Amino acid sequence: MKCKHIKVKFPDFLIGELEDISKKEIQEHVSTCFSCREELESLSEIWTKLGVLPQEQPSDSLRSRFYGMLDAYKQGLEQEKVKPRVHKLQGGWLTHWWPRQPAFQVTFSLALLLVGLTAGYLLNLNGKKVYEVASLRQEVQGMRQTLAISLLEQSSPTERLRGVGLSYRMEKPNKKIIQSLLDILDNDSNVNVRLAAVDALYLFHDNPTVKEGLIQSLSRQTSPLVQVSLIDLMVNMHERRAIESLKQLIQDEKFNPDVKNHAEQGIQQLTY
Amino acid sequence: MNSTTDNQLMEEVKEGKVERLAILFERHQVPLYNFFLRLTGNRGTSEDLVQDVFFRILKYRSTYRGESKFTIWMYQIARNAHIDHLRKRKEEIPLEEQWDEASSREPGPSESVEQLQDIVLLRQALAKLPLKKREVLVLSRFQNLKYKEIAELFDCHIGTVKAHVHRATKELGKIYFKLSGGMVS
Repeated sequence: MKCKHIKVKFPDFLIGELEDISKKEIQEHVSTCFSCREELESLSEIWTKLGVLPQEQPSDSLRSRFYGMLDAYKQGLEQEKVKPRVHKLQGGWLTHWWPRQPAFQVTFSLALLLVGLTAGYLLNLNGKKVYEVASLRQEVQGMRQTLAISLLEQSSPTERLRGVGLSYRMEKPNKKIIQSLLDILDNDSNVNVRLAAVDALYLFHDNPTVKEGLIQSLSRQTSPLVQVSLIDLMVNMHERRAIESLKQLIQDEKFNPDVKNHAEQGIQQLTY
Repeated sequence: MNSTTDNQLMEEVKEGKVERLAILFERHQVPLYNFFLRLTGNRGTSEDLVQDVFFRILKYRSTYRGESKFTIWMYQIARNAHIDHLRKRKEEIPLEEQWDEASSREPGPSESVEQLQDIVLLRQALAKLPLKKREVLVLSRFQNLKYKEIAELFDCHIGTVKAHVHRATKELGKIYFKLSGGMVS
């Protein structure tokens, strides 16, 4: 009975948040009760021992990813601010025409639906199918781009890989996707995601921004895998402007000797 | 120098000054990272989860109610992010195996070999605890949360939290004792 009453106080004893009276009560009890003393001692021992587990520091990429996300979010908010004005205009226009009685509202909606259906039918008759298919395709393309961008900004590497994978399938990626892929190539913490970005960007290497970004990125890469695949890409693109960057890379001490060899071969292939 | 409280900052973020989240990030990223590290045993995953938490804070900022402490709300989001991560992960990698990288490294200048061995054993023991017990223990021992705050976080009675801490510590002690071959220094 007494033991149960004492043991309840053990968790507070561990964190050192116990009033003097309770502390004294525990001390008096354990001086005579062997089993409670043994339990309190083993609890305190493991509790104290946990203190050896060190506090670790996250890598710098966590901070840069956070600020990247915050900036993107702020931009998104600012773009949204422009929209509500349009809504207000539409709201005013609609309330003016919209009937107040629910019964009229239903009739009005049905009438609108009928007008829409007839218009659709007539348009169809007029042979505008081709135009509709084209606009649908454009819409799907737009949706795919939005989805890819949102995936590229995800915190999980798997989702970002999906985003890169999706951008492969685009005929004409927009500026934002290209920029996101280049950012990933420079800043992503995961090597696999960076490698996938190299492959995706190769498909769009005709784009001048991509070409410039790829050349610039060579000196910023830390992983030999990504460096090698970038060098291969320069050779495949027959990009002579890259020779200068490759020469610099060979001079730089921080690069891996294998990568330097690869760069030398690359220069030879590009010069001849 | 900067004495604005977490709750005040979060109110500002809620009102649209999202850039104020940067201060909250600087204050809490390290403890939050270590919280996830002790739950998952994986450094990369823990960084991803910290990023996820701050993204969710932005996304759900309108649902923030200033009645309780900001940290309680933050850890609520952190627990959800961790549970979602466990659900998404297809192949289960046992937690004990994730620490391999740390267990094979050389001791640092301030650590003795015994201390390093202790760290490895404690991590293994912690990994063997059931998730809820591990969470309660980590929150009370390392994250400086009061029992009352943990009770609010888990939406249960403070007595239940204390009982959990008691049982978790006892169980951890037993596992540790077993792992160290029955010889506790």
